[in-house]
Amino acid sequence: MIPFRYNIRSLLARKATTAATALGIALVVFVLATVLMASAGIDKTLGSSGRADNAVVLRKGSDAELNSNIDAASVGLILAAPGAKLNDKGAPVGVGEVVVVLALEKIGDPGFTNVLLRGVPDDALAFRSGARVTSGRSPKPGSDEALIGKRLQGRFKGFQVGQSFELRKNRQVSVVGIFEDDGSSFESEVWADIDTVRSGLGREGLVSSVRVRLESASKFEAFKGSVESDKNLGFEVMREPEFLEKQASGLRIFVTALGGVLAVFASVGAMIGAMITMYGSIASRQREIGTLRALGFPRWQILLAFMLECALLSVCGGTVGALAATGLRFGSFSMVNFTSWSEMVFTFQPTISVIATSLIAALAMGILGGFLPAIRAARVSPIQAMR
Amino acid sequence: MNQAYRADVRPMVRVRGLSKIYERGGEQLKVLSGLDLDLAEGTFEALMGPSGSGKSTLLNIIAGLDRPSAGSVEVKGEDISHLSEGALAAWRSRTLGFIFQSYNLMPVLTALENVELPLLLTSLGGAERRKRAETALRIVGLEQRMGHYPRQLSGGQEQRVAIARAIVNDPAIIVADEPTGDLDRQSADDILTLLEKLASEMNKTILMVTHDPVAAERAKVRHRLDKGALIT
Repeated sequence: MIPFRYNIRSLLARKATTAATALGIALVVFVLATVLMASAGIDKTLGSSGRADNAVVLRKGSDAELNSNIDAASVGLILAAPGAKLNDKGAPVGVGEVVVVLALEKIGDPGFTNVLLRGVPDDALAFRSGARVTSGRSPKPGSDEALIGKRLQGRFKGFQVGQSFELRKNRQVSVVGIFEDDGSSFESEVWADIDTVRSGLGREGLVSSVRVRLESASKFEAFKGSVESDKNLGFEVMREPEFLEKQASGLRIFVTALGGVLAVFASVGAMIGAMITMYGSIASRQREIGTLRALGFPRWQILLAFMLECALLSVCGGTVGALAATGLRFGSFSMVNFTSWSEMVFTFQPTISVIATSLIAALAMGILGGFLPAIRAARVSPIQAMR
Repeated sequence: MNQAYRADVRPMVRVRGLSKIYERGGEQLKVLSGLDLDLAEGTFEALMGPSGSGKSTLLNIIAGLDRPSAGSVEVKGEDISHLSEGALAAWRSRTLGFIFQSYNLMPVLTALENVELPLLLTSLGGAERRKRAETALRIVGLEQRMGHYPRQLSGGQEQRVAIARAIVNDPAIIVADEPTGDLDRQSADDILTLLEKLASEMNKTILMVTHDPVAAERAKVRHRLDKGALIT
């Protein structure tokens, strides 16, 4: 076999063209890895807060909590359905919450942006095992106080502990704490007392959703059957992971489709770049290739060597691009969630699968881009060695 | 001694009725016409002739790089004119050594790695390949330059590396295309001395194409080609 060091050193001997091509591929892989990391970030944010033994109840036909209205009087009926878990005191474990959108001034960005405000009962933090106040304190029940999700902290006017924002005209809500929830979508929300939200925004007597802890995940069907059986009430029950998956899918499809189209166009460009580089390289190495053929190296070994050379070039570029993209893990990006029409903040997630996919894409670009030039190299006549 | 073939010595290469016709733009161009030639084992033979006389074409056909339009080429009793392309490549790797006018070393490989190249087509292990490549470089007097790249060598040294590469797999025949064409007189003289030694001491059959009458004088047998036919 033609030694691999021949290909490595041939690439190094043409530093400028090799670097330019590798940089092109690095940029494409950077874009691709960024899209994949963003998609993984959306999955993590919108998918990590789901528990298999949690059921979410919405008004039938509602895609999201925002457009679901449930009579507050029905919350007791829902919590009493078979399969709901009871606490030590014999009370069902669950929360009815109101979800609304507030238009607030974003810092460093002119105009208003929607933020999700969740009116929660006293035990909302306890219901979510991952949720905890990380700075400040919990709001006093019945007060005009709020907690800010960690990812919104400092992004809007008044979103710092000790500051305040307008719930509606002339009704200020004080920020008394910042909370986390293991990176879930709740961290892009504002939580205030349910009665404060209801009275402030005209939602008296309503909740948007009811979350219910089940005795176990296997009790879901029984619970669902019972809650959905009364057609007059018109409820729809979903497992929490399924509900969150539905919330994430629109955004994920958008990011993946947009990024995918970008990545495909950029990949074609990078492949053509790699192809041109390899054609140029082969044209200037006709005598070398002819000599290898004269010495007895068969065509398939020449083909393989040049495909490997292009693949190596692409993987080097791809590694640089993927590594550069992982630097984004320290940053975050915000988007409007299409189901809640409010701003959500996501982090880039450089998972093993993202890195592996990026490198495989780089390798594929190298193999596809190198194929035609490698065929040309394999067709070089050994007589070229004599010229 | 100038002769096309001799009856008293078993020929290493036996060419009979060799013709080569190229087609260009619908016209037929006859480069070689009905040529007979024998190359004896262990002799250093030169092939001369003016440009366009067909000497490179003849060398290419004997080396299995090109195919005849008619006639046969037998090397060690084996007719190579009908071998498939793959079989011909394998045949070249075990039977032939090449020396080119421009040395044709891989610029990114060291002298030792260049010499080792033909051995990569054999089943030899790395240590044995290295040992043989070192021996070949020692034969051409470049044992001190094994780690040097072609750009770090003089033209004469590069050609000696090429000769080491040509002999490393112990081929029966060495074909040399203007091996002294790019060298100064002293370096050319050294290369020709080396070729003489390879024929006389290592029993290699060497066919050298050259324009240079001084170089041709060093060959034991000289052939002259004109308009596709051997004239001496």
